[in-house]
Amino acid sequence: MSNPEQPPFRRAVIALNGGPADERIVRLAAELARPSRAELVAVHVVEIDWTLPLDADVAGRSDEAQRVLDEAEAVAEQVHYKIEPVLLQARDVAAALVDEASERRADLLLIGLSYKTRFGGDFAIGRTVPYVLKNAPCAVWVVREPIVEEQQ
Amino acid sequence: MFVLVVGGGKVGYYLTKELIQSGHEVVLMEKDHGRADQIADEIGSIVIPHDGCEGRYLAQAGANRADIVAAVTGDDEDNLVICQMAKHHFDVPRTIARVNNPKNEELFKHLGVDELISPTRMILGSIEQDIPMHELLHLAGLGESDLELIEAHLEAGSPAIGRSTGELQMPEGCALFAVIRDGVAMPLRADTTLREDDKVIAIGRADCEAMLHEQLIGAASPGA
Repeated sequence: MSNPEQPPFRRAVIALNGGPADERIVRLAAELARPSRAELVAVHVVEIDWTLPLDADVAGRSDEAQRVLDEAEAVAEQVHYKIEPVLLQARDVAAALVDEASERRADLLLIGLSYKTRFGGDFAIGRTVPYVLKNAPCAVWVVREPIVEEQQ
Repeated sequence: MFVLVVGGGKVGYYLTKELIQSGHEVVLMEKDHGRADQIADEIGSIVIPHDGCEGRYLAQAGANRADIVAAVTGDDEDNLVICQMAKHHFDVPRTIARVNNPKNEELFKHLGVDELISPTRMILGSIEQDIPMHELLHLAGLGESDLELIEAHLEAGSPAIGRSTGELQMPEGCALFAVIRDGVAMPLRADTTLREDDKVIAIGRADCEAMLHEQLIGAASPGA
């Protein structure tokens, strides 16, 4: 991003978690991608716990997973931009996102973060965002949801 | 094959790495969160930072579908509990335990652990092979029975020297079957006369050791 002549990114992976941040990051990504016609890959990862084999047919049967991708596509359609929906299943969401960004040679990974606090009031960042920040080979943009009144 | 390794010390860590390299599906449980994070950073998100002695965490780690559970913590009691739960609660086909104190081996066997790995015993065996201790040398255990392969080196003063094998009083359940003389192995017959420096190979139960020692080495071993 240091060179203003360069597009901000050519291929971005958008991490969808099914939460309210999804719409925000899809809109944001589409706006930023439009000038350079960058490719957007919207990824939703279904985490498979160790009680099941990794190739268990879970993601394909999940209505919730399909809903997450459908809603992202619907948002993209509203802003007249095309996204490629990808459904993955993995042991760990963060590692799967980093792997996907690496394999697709994405130059940006966009991830939403809801504002949550632990008991005692400390901000809880969770474990996915720190892992992605630490391990993703590309640029990472974290879009944190606004703090709602009762959380302040 | 799905292998559940419990204990992220040196043994568990290297075991996990080797299994992954061999193409197995592996999950490692390590109760120390700092250590678990350190391993996960290096080998990926296959580490569950919980205590494998707790059934709910074993369940979370997928013990219900594990082909093998290897309990390799530095604590014998923990390893026994892990194998017991794996075997009896999750029906794991094969359990392997690291046993640090050789005195616990019998207990582990008695309680149904499928395979015991005793680093202490292995090192002891290696030392005994390199440094003759004028005692019976345990060469190997034979399968799941109590039988062991034992070597006795006949040194000067051995009551067996000059006697034929048939003259020796062997305890029940123990058989002498070969002798190594001048580097050559030969079968032992009842009329074979034993000589100084012979290495006699026997098969017998552990409880035969005292009498075998008396017949081949001399006075009973202090541990017998």
